[in-house]
Amino acid sequence: MQVYLPIAEMSVDALLLLGIGFGVGWLSGLFGVGGGFLLTPVLMLIGIPSAVAVASGANQTIGASVSGLISNLRRGTVDLKMGLVLLAGGFAGSAIGVQVFALLRRTGAVDVVVALFYVLVLGVVGLLMVRESVQAILRRRRAQPRRLHEHFWAHGLPLKTRFRKSRLYISVIPPLGIGFFIGFLSAIMGVGGGFMLVPAMIYLLGMPTATVIGTSLFQVVFVAANVTVLQAWANGTVDAVLTLLLVAGGVAGAQFGSAFGTRLRGEETRALLGALVLAVAAALLWDLVRVPDNPFAIGRAPA
Amino acid sequence: MIRAALLVLVLLLPAGSRAEEALISRLSDRRVEITTAFTGAAILVFGTTGAPLGPASGHDVLIRVEGPPQPMVVRRRVRVAGLWVPGPTATFPEVPSFYALAGTRPHWEVLSEGERAAARLGLINLPMRAVGEQAPVFRAALLTLKQEAGLWVEQPEPVSVDGGRLFSARIPLPSTVAPGEYRVSVLLVAEGRVLEWQEHGLSVLRVGTAATIAGLARNWPLLYGLVSVLLAAAAGWLGSILFRRG
Repeated sequence: MQVYLPIAEMSVDALLLLGIGFGVGWLSGLFGVGGGFLLTPVLMLIGIPSAVAVASGANQTIGASVSGLISNLRRGTVDLKMGLVLLAGGFAGSAIGVQVFALLRRTGAVDVVVALFYVLVLGVVGLLMVRESVQAILRRRRAQPRRLHEHFWAHGLPLKTRFRKSRLYISVIPPLGIGFFIGFLSAIMGVGGGFMLVPAMIYLLGMPTATVIGTSLFQVVFVAANVTVLQAWANGTVDAVLTLLLVAGGVAGAQFGSAFGTRLRGEETRALLGALVLAVAAALLWDLVRVPDNPFAIGRAPA
Repeated sequence: MIRAALLVLVLLLPAGSRAEEALISRLSDRRVEITTAFTGAAILVFGTTGAPLGPASGHDVLIRVEGPPQPMVVRRRVRVAGLWVPGPTATFPEVPSFYALAGTRPHWEVLSEGERAAARLGLINLPMRAVGEQAPVFRAALLTLKQEAGLWVEQPEPVSVDGGRLFSARIPLPSTVAPGEYRVSVLLVAEGRVLEWQEHGLSVLRVGTAATIAGLARNWPLLYGLVSVLLAAAAGWLGSILFRRG
């Protein structure tokens, strides 16, 4: 069943989009992340213009994360103060990111820059995840206890404040910086950034795992909303039809994925997620390195 | 005075009646609607001629469809430090977004090169003035890629002729056609000259939901962004209730 995407200005099989949404939703339910880092490259692969893929990917992230946020808010596992600090940084970062994205579109470098960002960010995050989870698996075998969190220079910065829910007394500068960085990447890459935010909150801020997921969802939903509005405003590249089909497939897939996820241990899940992230990075790197079938590409010139 | 008016009448009448008989052409549709179920369309161009068509009489029909002009940019990827990154670009400020040419015979057989250039017949006669990189490979790439996308077509299928005088041709429009005003030209050609030239307008329009969404996105981008956010949130929340397991 073909459906015409009014912003991408092309016709795509609706079942294919539902299927992609389901597959990405299944994986995101399994790993507890939004799945934008998988979705946006897949959309580009099936021929959606990268600008539309990035903007609609951010829009889809809202749909994929909103029910998780609501249930976390009900359970009281969202550190609102921390969330708002992250969000302040995230809004600034995504606002600048959208402007940078618009600039890249004008110079025509957007496809390659987005791909390079993916390779770098996914490569680094994937390696860190695999390393950390393998260490955790080994530590479990040796049954070594782990400290609550490490203290290092970032905790010694000024503007210290108390985050009661996370039982932290740290400077607001690290969460502001993390929020800014993830917001920037969110705008450029069309991802929610949960897969980067969760490890950053655990290892850099030392937040307890109980509040990490809910608080990261809080940041992801609102930053993705900000990115969607700004992309629609500055670049006009949000395709609502594309988004809704992906969300419809995604929410169904996520329920099955999270049911499956309960059968896996945390470290093993993280190791698998790390491997998946690395695989996406490798595929995109291959696309940049191999000799293209046709070195030329055409597009509509920006007015 | 009366003599002059009669002279004009005499001069006009045969020419007028000849024109009416020489070529009558029509389009199956005056408008093509892009709905959310649009997968491309085909327009039928048909008509009759006064003189029989074909090799015996030497009369031929050419049909040209041209879409609204669109600025296009051609980018070349170059290898830098092992990576294929975007390199030089050429911008073509005014090329037709769609172009199709069909004929009872190939156009290069019925008209001279000069005539074809003047009438913009054939892909090589499209106005391809470039800004930026001037190398001919960029023009060649534009030609190839537009043809691969089915947006520039020469001889999609020859114009078919029934009973010597009734001609018809199907011009396919792929799903990626740009909305706008299209011009369909029907030419009657004999002895290397264009005898008749008729023009028809064709509107390709977004309608229904597709038009609403595209219009909202263009005219009220901020509102559209907010609506997109709310729609995605509502869909995600509803979906999670519908698909809740256990």
